Amino acid sequence: MPDVKAQTPDIEPVDTAVEEAIAVEGLSFAYRDAARAALSEVSFAQSAGEMIGVMGASGAGKSTLAKCLNRIIPELEGGEFRGIVRISGRPTAGARVYEIAPKVGMVFQDFESQLFSTSVAHEVAFALEQIGMSREEMLRRIGPALEAVGLAGFEERDPTSLSGGQKQRLAIAAVLALRPRIIVLDEPTTDLDPEGRAEVFALIRKLREQGLSLVVIEHEAEELRRCDRLVLLSEGSIIADGPPPSIMTRMEMLENSGVHPPGLNSLLHLLGIGGHARSIEHAEAEIRKRFPGVPSAPPAETPANEAVRASRGKAAANQPPGALIRVENVSFSYPGGPRVLDGADLAISAGEFVAIIGQNGSGKTTLAKLVIGLLKPDSGRITIDGRDRSTLHAAATAREIGYVFQNPDHQIFAATVEDEVAFGPRNFGLDPQEIERRCAEVLHAVGLENERKSDPFLLSKGQRQRLAVASVLVLRPKVLILDEPTTGLDYREQRRMMKLVAELNESGVAIVMITHTPWLVAEYARRVVLMHAGRKIFDDGVREFFGHDAMLAESSFRAPEVTALSRRFGTVALTAEEMAAWLREHCG
Amino acid sequence: MKTTLYIERDSFVHRLHPTAKVFGLFVVFWSIYWVDNPLALMPLALIVLAIALMMGAWENVYRFRWFFILIIVPTMLTWMLFYRVGKPLITLPPFYVSEASLMFGFGRGLKVGALVLASVLFLSGTKVEELAVGLSRLGLPYRLGFTITLAFRLVPLFMESALTVVDAQRLRGYDFDAGGPFERIRRYVPVVVPVFMGALRKANNMAMALEARGFGRTHRPTSFIEYRMHPRDAAAFAFLLALGAVSFWIYYSGLGAIPTG
Repeated sequence: MPDVKAQTPDIEPVDTAVEEAIAVEGLSFAYRDAARAALSEVSFAQSAGEMIGVMGASGAGKSTLAKCLNRIIPELEGGEFRGIVRISGRPTAGARVYEIAPKVGMVFQDFESQLFSTSVAHEVAFALEQIGMSREEMLRRIGPALEAVGLAGFEERDPTSLSGGQKQRLAIAAVLALRPRIIVLDEPTTDLDPEGRAEVFALIRKLREQGLSLVVIEHEAEELRRCDRLVLLSEGSIIADGPPPSIMTRMEMLENSGVHPPGLNSLLHLLGIGGHARSIEHAEAEIRKRFPGVPSAPPAETPANEAVRASRGKAAANQPPGALIRVENVSFSYPGGPRVLDGADLAISAGEFVAIIGQNGSGKTTLAKLVIGLLKPDSGRITIDGRDRSTLHAAATAREIGYVFQNPDHQIFAATVEDEVAFGPRNFGLDPQEIERRCAEVLHAVGLENERKSDPFLLSKGQRQRLAVASVLVLRPKVLILDEPTTGLDYREQRRMMKLVAELNESGVAIVMITHTPWLVAEYARRVVLMHAGRKIFDDGVREFFGHDAMLAESSFRAPEVTALSRRFGTVALTAEEMAAWLREHCG
Repeated sequence: MKTTLYIERDSFVHRLHPTAKVFGLFVVFWSIYWVDNPLALMPLALIVLAIALMMGAWENVYRFRWFFILIIVPTMLTWMLFYRVGKPLITLPPFYVSEASLMFGFGRGLKVGALVLASVLFLSGTKVEELAVGLSRLGLPYRLGFTITLAFRLVPLFMESALTVVDAQRLRGYDFDAGGPFERIRRYVPVVVPVFMGALRKANNMAMALEARGFGRTHRPTSFIEYRMHPRDAAAFAFLLALGAVSFWIYYSGLGAIPTG
């Protein structure tokens, strides 16, 4: 056993002006038994202190590239590895993951799997214990690491009691404790709600200011605007590498690579102005130059609280007769826990498209679970098509209200796609011909007709998500409740998923979608229900919602950038296309 | 949801050195193993209950109440009704009840109950880090000890995902309760497969995260939390050694057996 203390990395601040942080030359990798290489001939270099954003569709090789940087590939995940990776000038060939750990810190998407300890301080200490650091030195490092991520004072807390954003920040602190000069973050915000995302991105900006070299993998281009450079991967190769303005203005290339182009750039592109919007203010200035007559909106005069109160009255009133689902004054708490729902009301009528939004813990999912009968309310009343929910089993209404769980992997088990879909109808004793007919129908609807005999576990995440929808849809529910249907999907898969949902809605299925994603709400929903602290505080049209500045300011929900921009012109545009059309009509 | 059983308290047991805690669990298991007679088991069961009281661990005992009942009652009944030993009081085939079989049933119930209770108490008063330290001080390699503690961390996560999977399949009209006992086991396939696949994925993610934080770099990591032996630990060890010895003596002298004559 070598003297581990001697291996403790040099923690002196280095001159970041010229030094090379990462260099990758001719890197190719193919996973064992994979049909094609995950990475082929990838080369790029990062100077110390640079922040590089890596974008690309699912399967483009982003995570594979990240894992090559700290030797998880090929040390833990084997396959055919060729090429050179240098960290701070030194080739990594032959090094073990734990030898790279103090040089390259790695943060993963799944924050739950990154926390192993029973206290926040100990979580940070874990890596330090592994390098054999003395207790005194550990104590000196834990404080600053927690300070850096804004978790000072949380030392004794149980990590499982933290919010998602806090957990991810803790995972970052745990890596920072080793004082690596390079940090690789692999989709660190995918599983987070908007506040969590904002927290983590704010932290990333701070780390960058401190001179760390950062590699951030992400598929929402908007978030990567502040990078020094962007690398776009497609099918294992780099297809573009340059500063954000040169990459983020190539709309078609981004879309074809499964990346959501920044909305403001799409708008400038549609208006023929082109160029890269650095911020909403920048886009506004560019547009005013082109459309001098564009009006300015006065700032909202109604104080936030008053507006919220006013809409609360309206929220309670929004209870149309003849609703399919009716929730009246329902309260609920988990055994021994605080109140999750506190007098919640909701009514869903045939053919609606409703987005339920609100912070984590505001009661969205609990409300859905009460509606489908997985939970029973402590008080209040729920009716399904006029029948009292409490008299009905969960399965009894499964053919009227379909529920798609957030994670498709919580239900997929069958050996073939077809069997997976047929599972529900078989349980309900439908006759085989009918099952056959319905399976064909829904698999066509979700675009999996060519995968009937495929093993569901070999499908992509997007395909599995659509399979989960198909296996609920096959029971022909009148209402479909989707819990975060696009989490973990890349932009292309998100679009595909939402196209499917929109088509279902057009065919008459009422959609209730729980989501955190602003553009999904803006582009697809027609009605918005905002939950806060266990009750509904807003319930109205999507345009009314985004036009309600006070409400938006008070909720933590952020409008899509184009929508936020449209408010500066005194209108509400839900998409870049709508904004462009409005500008041409009113000011062209 | 809370994913570990650990309860933050400042009791005598909580303050013990991890090695003493692991040793304590071992001694309780050892003592229970040697004794069958419920009368001889009583003091032991009372000691475990006293420890629960001292630790303020009732919330976990309550949390596991159904588990206790499900394990203790069938165990008792099976031995009481079917164990053919001693002079019968009632014989109504297939039932066979005698004074000795009643004793056995009661004893087995006590044994199982005390074992589960001791385990719950151990987890209520021992952080996973302490478990790792305790195991390594007792000679287990660090990697192995740490992996065991990870398993403890993962089990509640799997339980949680299993509950979600059961909900998901129930909503697809699946009836878990149809058929006889063997059919019922088979009917859990739609739960076991997703949970197992999820577990594999989680374990894989965890392995990556562990190595990325330097796990495996040394066989002898330093410890953030300092564990020092205190006089109370010496007292605990003395008590535990005595308890183990007395239990073995009870067995050796025949006092721990159930008279079958």
